[in-house]
Amino acid sequence: MLELHNVEVTYSDVILALKGVSLSLREGQCVALLGGNGAGKSTILKAISGTLKSEDGKVSAGAITLEGTPIHNLEASEVVRRGLIHVMEGRRVLRHMTAEQNLIVGGHMVPDRAELKRRLDHVYTLMPRLANLKSRTAGFMSGGEQQLLLIGRAMMARPKIIAIDEPSLGLAPLMIHDVYEVLSRLKEEGTTFFLVEQNSAAGLGLADYAYVLENGRVVLDGRADKLAQNEDVKEFYLGVTASGERKSYRQVKHYRRRKRWLG
Amino acid sequence: MIYVINDIITGALIGLLYALVAMGFVVIYRASKVFNFAQGELVILGGFIVWYTTFELGLDLWLAIPLSLLLSALAGYLIERIFLTKLIGESVFSMVMVTVGLLILLRGIVLLLFGPAVRPFPVIFPLKPLFLGEMLIPMNLLIGGLITVVAAVGLSWFFNRTRAGLRMTAVAEDHVVASSMGISVKGSIAFAWVLGAVLSTVGAMIFLSGKSLTFLASEIGFAALPVALFAGLESIGGLILAGVIVGVAQSLATNYLDPLVGGALGTVVPYLIMLGILLIRPTGLFGWRTIERV
Repeated sequence: MLELHNVEVTYSDVILALKGVSLSLREGQCVALLGGNGAGKSTILKAISGTLKSEDGKVSAGAITLEGTPIHNLEASEVVRRGLIHVMEGRRVLRHMTAEQNLIVGGHMVPDRAELKRRLDHVYTLMPRLANLKSRTAGFMSGGEQQLLLIGRAMMARPKIIAIDEPSLGLAPLMIHDVYEVLSRLKEEGTTFFLVEQNSAAGLGLADYAYVLENGRVVLDGRADKLAQNEDVKEFYLGVTASGERKSYRQVKHYRRRKRWLG
Repeated sequence: MIYVINDIITGALIGLLYALVAMGFVVIYRASKVFNFAQGELVILGGFIVWYTTFELGLDLWLAIPLSLLLSALAGYLIERIFLTKLIGESVFSMVMVTVGLLILLRGIVLLLFGPAVRPFPVIFPLKPLFLGEMLIPMNLLIGGLITVVAAVGLSWFFNRTRAGLRMTAVAEDHVVASSMGISVKGSIAFAWVLGAVLSTVGAMIFLSGKSLTFLASEIGFAALPVALFAGLESIGGLILAGVIVGVAQSLATNYLDPLVGGALGTVVPYLIMLGILLIRPTGLFGWRTIERV
């Protein structure tokens, strides 16, 4: 459904952020991208959704195809029309608009009012908390509520793929649970996800397949349940050692050397 | 006492005219975050288009007015496409500097096309004032005030209730987020310039009806500036209140304070109000306040 073939991304014609990334996403699948800061996870989502240009970035080599059609040179608005929505990190709600106005903007391409209403009802059924906050100015909602609103706003467009960036970032554990429950229900409904997460435990819990990125390259990939059992993944991203003990500073240095080697 | 009431009414109606021109500022600012310094020149351009269609082409007003609005919409669209569309995503400073350049360029174009002579402007709204008892209400300003209120209500409804308007409001909030939702940022900004140019032409019709058309008319752009900043650059409804306050204050200052201080205070008062409100509320009365989660 969505494929990246040897994609390279350059910022300002100088910084090579992705160094030949290849990956694929099938219909109905949830694929997670894991990795530390600066690994290139968010860059992949921006390359897919056409929002790289706003940061002076471009796909300098390779190809991205959605259902066989190249999309890497398209404007962001055109990518959305083809069925891919990017939920950006940083909870970028439209702060001065109400929650419901945010949702209506999300469904701005819906042809008729009755369908728009049906989609609103679907969002409110899935996230009753939003129904109670529909008149609230989005900027004054809590972090978790804003994250739910962003998911709802993406749902309004009924996209083929939702590419969601760091949905758990900065949220309390209870709120992360709520957000992932909604994502899980959407997955059950057949939504296809591209999920970027630093919270690897949460990401691997939802995903069917995962790619691990280091320094702009895919260093590891496989079924999410298998990766969750991988010793390196457990050590690097889940913070669990074989003995379950905390790492000393010496161990951390060793761990960084091994990561560099892997990358 | 009746003189004071008449001055207040006239001031309020002039303030509504400022609000109409300021609406052009606000519509363009909301879409592009660009403060258009050439707004007064758009009024002049609109004025010359009306003059051209009525006096040069000799069309009747019922035909000349819609044609003028159409031509000014086209001018607004072309200005955006030629000078601004390529700057989307660049720094706001670059775009603002382009509007300063546009100010000079539009003056040059109008001068080149129509020459420097003072032109007559058609009488579009009745010149005879309306008398209500001892109250005297300038008819053209009264009709202009009603047009301003209707335009403000209509645009507020458009931006807050319709999907096309909400799309433009989303663009006003965040270009990147808007485009990530499939909204054409370029299309929204182009439409804002079309609206800004049309509003300026309507402003020119009210302001210049039955008067002379010269480059001095562009000063209304700067007169409208305090109203736009006072109301807040994102608020359309707020322009009505801000316009009335500024207009009344200016009228009273001109009629009652100027004779005491030897003149010019009436011209300064709107800017004093603007500075005062900006010191207290930097985003104006109804502008979007920064919402930061900490």
